[in-house]
Amino acid sequence: MRKIYLTLVAFLSWMAMSVASFAIDVIVVSHGQANDPFWSVAKNGVDSACKDMKIKCKYTAPGTFDMVEMAKLIDNAVSQKPKGIVITLPDAAALGKSVKAAIAAGIPVVSMNSGSDDFAKLGISAHVGQTEFEAGVGGGQKMKAAGGKKALCVNHEVGNVALDRRCAGFKKGFGGSVEILGTSNDPTEIQKAVAAKLGGVDTILTLGAGLSGEAALKAIKSAGKTGSIKLGTFDMSPGMLKAAAAGEVEFLIDQQQYLQGYLPIAIFAQYMRWGTMPAGVVMTGPGFVTPQNASKVIKWAAQGYR
Amino acid sequence: MSVKSKSIQNKSKDERLRKVSNLKVLLNRPELGALGGSVLVFIFFGIVAGDTGMFSAYGTINFLEVSANLGIIAIAAALLMIGGEFDLSVGSMIGFAGICIAIPAIYWGWPLWSSILFAFSMAVLVGYANGILVVRTGLPSFIVTLAMLFILRGATLALTRLITGRTQVPGLRVLIENDPIAWIFSADAFKGVFTWLGSLGLIALRQDGTPLATGIPASVLWWVGMTIFATWLLMKTRYGNWIFASGGDKLGARNVGVPVGRVKISLFIGTAVAATIYACVQVLDAGSADTMRGFLKELEAIVAAVVGGCLLTGGYGSAIGAAFGALIFGTVSMGIYYTDVDTDWFKVFLGAMMLIAVIFNNFIRRRVTENK
Amino acid sequence: MSNNLVEFNNISKFFGSVIALKDVTMHIKKGQIMCLLGDNGAGKSTLIKTLSGVHKPDEGEIIVDGKQTVFDSPRDALDLGIATVYQDLALVSLMSVTRNFFMGREPMKGFGPFKTFDVNKANSIASERMGQIGIDVRDPSQAVGTMSGGERQCLAISRAIYFGAKVLILDEPTSALGVHQASVVLKYIVKAAASGLGVILITHNVHHAYPVGNSFTILNRGRSMGTFEKKNLSREKLLGMMAGGEELDKLEVELKEIDRTNKN
Repeated sequence: MRKIYLTLVAFLSWMAMSVASFAIDVIVVSHGQANDPFWSVAKNGVDSACKDMKIKCKYTAPGTFDMVEMAKLIDNAVSQKPKGIVITLPDAAALGKSVKAAIAAGIPVVSMNSGSDDFAKLGISAHVGQTEFEAGVGGGQKMKAAGGKKALCVNHEVGNVALDRRCAGFKKGFGGSVEILGTSNDPTEIQKAVAAKLGGVDTILTLGAGLSGEAALKAIKSAGKTGSIKLGTFDMSPGMLKAAAAGEVEFLIDQQQYLQGYLPIAIFAQYMRWGTMPAGVVMTGPGFVTPQNASKVIKWAAQGYR
Repeated sequence: MSVKSKSIQNKSKDERLRKVSNLKVLLNRPELGALGGSVLVFIFFGIVAGDTGMFSAYGTINFLEVSANLGIIAIAAALLMIGGEFDLSVGSMIGFAGICIAIPAIYWGWPLWSSILFAFSMAVLVGYANGILVVRTGLPSFIVTLAMLFILRGATLALTRLITGRTQVPGLRVLIENDPIAWIFSADAFKGVFTWLGSLGLIALRQDGTPLATGIPASVLWWVGMTIFATWLLMKTRYGNWIFASGGDKLGARNVGVPVGRVKISLFIGTAVAATIYACVQVLDAGSADTMRGFLKELEAIVAAVVGGCLLTGGYGSAIGAAFGALIFGTVSMGIYYTDVDTDWFKVFLGAMMLIAVIFNNFIRRRVTENK
Repeated sequence: MSNNLVEFNNISKFFGSVIALKDVTMHIKKGQIMCLLGDNGAGKSTLIKTLSGVHKPDEGEIIVDGKQTVFDSPRDALDLGIATVYQDLALVSLMSVTRNFFMGREPMKGFGPFKTFDVNKANSIASERMGQIGIDVRDPSQAVGTMSGGERQCLAISRAIYFGAKVLILDEPTSALGVHQASVVLKYIVKAAASGLGVILITHNVHHAYPVGNSFTILNRGRSMGTFEKKNLSREKLLGMMAGGEELDKLEVELKEIDRTNKN
């Protein structure tokens, strides 16, 4: 019995030594779990930046998409008195109290990925991410330059503010006529809906790659219209990346979440040294993945950087 | 250093009776393991994270809040477990209660206090349903409440989408201001003490001079209050004896006249009401309700109760133990963020600490009951 | 007016097509220890469950204190003073002696909704009653699981008596006990009967039944083979009447035969 007792004590002491922490510089509180492929890229951005900037960081996230738990993590971070806190802001109402407490305690906060509308009024210093409207504009401009005149914007969740903005921005950047096609999020239904509209358009933009992008691609292919109808999409998926490498897709709009993880750390590193801080939104997108660079992106995606 | 135990006179001639110290008598209690586990956890984090701010006022309130929320449902789960049953629907009830509070207040214009009362009456109904099904059908409560878990979670999602078109109901924060009941679940207590401590510079301050930690959250007071109430109930009332009896030997208890059915039904109502208290605290804190709230919380409540010394087979346990079990859980959940452990390892860490706490608990209990 | 505490007349119980009991009659007087004997499967447990209110008899009548009664539940039987101590004792090993003793009938103190379980009073009563049996309960708040089997039996019996049993039905009280513990329990049973209770002692162990019983009812395959007073019955005759007596004789003969052929 004694032996077990002593082993337990020894194990715990070892555990304690190995996890004992030193002063932390930046704590990231994100709503994205590291086991999500999108967020694991962002976390890699955070980790790389910490190494490059030679500061100490930590990436934390609640176990599930739970704003209450996330608010607690922000409070937790504040109690550690870091030099800066990076957060995502998917729900300003639920997180507002904790964010304001952080700022009131004298800890600067930078937001990333979500919350471009709300960050300023909470007192957050800067936002790093892709604003949907501007990304849509970029996509529209690119399609216009490719010669598109009549476009279809496929929105698979009408009412989702971010998605609605993407189509609105696209309309502005495109210039020509744009019809917004609202669908469900069932891939078969999306494919059918798009197929029905193929006759009147030369450009299609989808707002999600794996779901609506690939469904639209299938519709175009079955109608044999690859090449005559230009397809672009927001976000990335392995299927769409492959199609881009094969020249079947005009572009993918990459919000470059690696930068969303990297840049806030870099910003705080400089803030800690020289007190500098960008004002407003630092845009990480739209980054365009085209047939020209698709194969490289595929390689980097496999390594976790895109 | 030994003191005569609480035995009756003229027992001193009994050669089987040793003079047992009062300490040993105390150690015999089911809570001891959980208390020991708590101490162990605090020592661990004291070493590992002592100067990180975990034990500052703000940091302490942070992990106490998590412990308190879990404690509220763990104590009810412990009482039910002592009574021989499980309630797996607690997590779904939390979500359901949340929308029972939010939807009438935001969409039907009810005053917040009446929404809260509405949620509690739904809790009584759900608890009663669980109880009556278990008692009448004789099915294991595991199965019945598992079915209720799905039913409630599905109803929460379906009804919310039906009425609101979304899965979240925000906008409650403004309603809390003048409501007669809401403050019971959301206010901070002892604000004055914290302001005074802040003025003395003993705790961290915001830039405007007010203390960072504004007071003891209501959930902590609920946790402590429920622990005291549940302990009194178990140890000092007839009903408490009935709970032990119903869990220890259902048939035997019934045969001597214990109303086992009524006891179990009331215990199920207890867990549903506790889930609703949790939901009130959470909804008023976040200012919104969400259909996915409370997911898997019933398992955490059961773990806290078991760490606290409750036997899974029923008939033995304590509410104080469950309260400490919740404390361990909350401290570990929040404590890990103060360490250098990459949060990818978080779940491993949490599971390992829970296992250690339970083994330690078991070790203490065996050592003491066999070492008499 | 008979001085029977309770009469069970011509009791029959059927389960579907199975005749568990047919025409069984038993009368219990004050101070009498009636041993109910029979091999496994004879119907003893069914009879006991019928007597204690778990089953309703399909034929026959139950007369308590001269009045015909029907038990709708075990509670009814209990309320009329017929207490049954089953083999599993209805004791929770994890609970203390006191809590077990007063299970379901806890003494209270205080007023209105603030009534509390009077633990101190319960502790002293429990110790006292156990002391009367001769069992020295060291600490009434100790768990029952720490007591020996015999002590637990005595606790269960003592509880039944304390709460006003007039007729005590004991289901195989000594079956799981060693010799010394069995004798402690049997002595207690004799004491209880002597103080005016009627006792029905169910057992398949003649060596426990014969010393303490006044009357013996033997069940064989659901039927009563009769009730016999001790003065009319020797131990050997009793053993022979229980199912198995004949078989044991036959076995003895067969074994002698095998022995003989082996020697040759």
